[in-house]
Amino acid sequence: MEPISTSKLFLEASAVFTGFSKTELKATGMLQSYHNTILKNTNKEDIDYFFIDLNQLLTDPKQDAKSIKHILTTQFMPISAYGSLAQNMIILWYTGNWGNDVISSASYIQGLMWDTIHAHPPGAKQPGYGSWSDLPLSVKQSTVKSSPNGK
Amino acid sequence: MENNNNNYDVVIVGSGIAGSIVAKLLTNAGKKVLMLEAGLAAGIAMDQEANYKNYQDYLSTFYNASAKVPNSPYPNIKDAPSIDVLDIKKTPSTEGYLVQMGPIAFASDCTRAPGGTTLHWLGTTLRMLPNDFKMKSKYGVAVDWPIKYEDMNRYYEMAENEIGVSGNVKDQNYPIEQKSVFNKDYVYPMKVIPISYLDKVMTDIIDKNSKIILNDKAYKLYCISTPQGRNSIPNYDYDINGVAWNPGTKKLDITRNRFKEGYNPVGSNWDPYTGQRCEGNASCVPICPVQAKYNALKTLRKCDMGNLSVKTQAVASKLLINETSNWINGVEYKTYIKGSSPEYETHTAKATIYVMAASAIENAKLLLASGAANSSDQVGRNLMDHMTVLRWGLAKEPLYPYRGPGSTTNIPTFRDGEFRKDHAAWILPLDNWGWAWPTFSPGSDVTTAVSEGIFGKELRDRIENRVTRQFFTHFECEQTPDPNNRVTINPEYKDNIGNYRPVIHYNATEYMLKAFEASGVVSEQFFDQCGIEDFTEYNPQDPDYVTYKGKGYSFAGAGHIVGTHRMGFNKQDSVVDSDMRTWDHENLFLVGCGNMPTLGTSNPTLTMSALTFKAAEAILKQLEQ
Repeated sequence: MEPISTSKLFLEASAVFTGFSKTELKATGMLQSYHNTILKNTNKEDIDYFFIDLNQLLTDPKQDAKSIKHILTTQFMPISAYGSLAQNMIILWYTGNWGNDVISSASYIQGLMWDTIHAHPPGAKQPGYGSWSDLPLSVKQSTVKSSPNGK
Repeated sequence: MENNNNNYDVVIVGSGIAGSIVAKLLTNAGKKVLMLEAGLAAGIAMDQEANYKNYQDYLSTFYNASAKVPNSPYPNIKDAPSIDVLDIKKTPSTEGYLVQMGPIAFASDCTRAPGGTTLHWLGTTLRMLPNDFKMKSKYGVAVDWPIKYEDMNRYYEMAENEIGVSGNVKDQNYPIEQKSVFNKDYVYPMKVIPISYLDKVMTDIIDKNSKIILNDKAYKLYCISTPQGRNSIPNYDYDINGVAWNPGTKKLDITRNRFKEGYNPVGSNWDPYTGQRCEGNASCVPICPVQAKYNALKTLRKCDMGNLSVKTQAVASKLLINETSNWINGVEYKTYIKGSSPEYETHTAKATIYVMAASAIENAKLLLASGAANSSDQVGRNLMDHMTVLRWGLAKEPLYPYRGPGSTTNIPTFRDGEFRKDHAAWILPLDNWGWAWPTFSPGSDVTTAVSEGIFGKELRDRIENRVTRQFFTHFECEQTPDPNNRVTINPEYKDNIGNYRPVIHYNATEYMLKAFEASGVVSEQFFDQCGIEDFTEYNPQDPDYVTYKGKGYSFAGAGHIVGTHRMGFNKQDSVVDSDMRTWDHENLFLVGCGNMPTLGTSNPTLTMSALTFKAAEAILKQLEQ
């Protein structure tokens, strides 16, 4: 088994499993903290095989999006695969928790589930007086038609 | 803040909203007050820096709590424990602070910390309705109060000024005979807190539908904005300046501005410029990060500090009674150093008048432990709460919950009516925080989807699609007084420093079960007409699962702990008179929700605060006799 740099692949894997872009994930500032969290809490062999196998899958020129999705579903998502690393990683990004434990104040505040539902973590990132009376800004913006010259 | 002068006029036990209102009025009238607070010294910090630091500690504890329940930000001290909803189990249970004898578990908590439960209250400040004060004569149920609504009006105005209520009087259309419960031209201190997007969508739908049939009678559901104790835009038509003792008339006067200056919102305790408006943190329960929501420490800071001494980490354990005069001679209290060790020192506080403001459960417990005020045998009895039936479902369109204060609109249709002869009344708030309460959403939605193997874009879409459509409401049913629902003590159950733990006996009467049944009939029609797909599920394993006519219901507590030392007409039927003086001890007053003979369908803090102004008036009058 070749040693592999998991830190580079962690961002890639996180984007694949969460459905958020690498930029969105980096913007949370949680990348390093979450990488450390999985290293600390997951069996080393599971981590190594997870990233080797994932890297192989994603760099395999014979695979297309459909077959990749199929393999991710059947080989990576099951609770029995790689110590449930994929499931745990998604929950970590979405909720800021590892199991029932909150990693940190920052992880709670940066939970992706709040962005997903066009809200914010209760007690943080407060959107301001009266904002709740209107459609969320992220919903309003997505319904504004982009101009023909817009990027 | 230590005052070496031992000649106190009044000792107050507890620094929550009741204790703080009494302290503010008395010290500003020149009376010397000693306040005993069971919670940690850090929580009472009056200087800016320590105050800020302590509050940020609360906030950080909240962020890091895995279950963000009402008491999660605040320290649970072994030497002065708080009730925690996470300890509610099937009965009998000795888990946590309460000893729950059953047959069902009492389901509400409160906070033992400086500022009391206002640290985590939601902030809803509806008044009780006129008929709530005369349940016996009007509906033949429960008891009448020795006070009428009309007597309460001016005290309500005082309480709304103290708390700083935002609301629109014109919206307050209740199912009652009277056109309005407010004085002519009355307005709230601040303008209505904007109602949520969810409220607007649902109000439109409810207005078009929702003719409900219950027991062969038709009712129309309708929505009104909810008055709240959180800061919004000052109302310039509001002219009340404050409340002051008038030694000439021996009454509290409402003082007024001569010019329309409007109300000054009270910001956070560490910075008047923080929290002047609600900022939409959507975390009122358990903690408002900017203190735009009222808490009792705001009132405590308005005391004349030259007349106030506060002892923290001081847990009242016994009232000392003079056997010949039956007057109270002193309050014995235990001071702890660390909060977790069993070491303590015992002291006695002495004054002319004693005021118990330690919460309904603690007041009752302390009276029982002292053999005080109980010639009526009513101490500890008639424990009440809003027994709350939760209902949740998915709307057809996104409602975008999890934004704004917990609730900004309510359906008042079933707050009053002839049906109260038969079953409990309720208020039906529209809730802004999705299924957070019943199912721990949105975290539970994520874990469920992931366990089904869903990931990536599909996961993101599914969470967005489902969670943004979550609708939640809850039937807060008015529990009526039952002498068997009670707080008792038992030498077998004591805390870390030898004080009694409250032993609770609790059950749901048929009057309540009928209301649960009615809530099901109403919500089925309501959800159906509004296109809400019902996802409500009551599990027989829930700690507060009850059955009626073959159907099961789970109820929750509303955090409205009421009725353990009721007010009444004479010393046989009650613990205190209408001035909240104990019938048995002329110099002992009780304040807090324990005084309330019945609960009505409003959250009790506003009514309790109004009563506290009335009690303070009587205390000042007695001191100046």
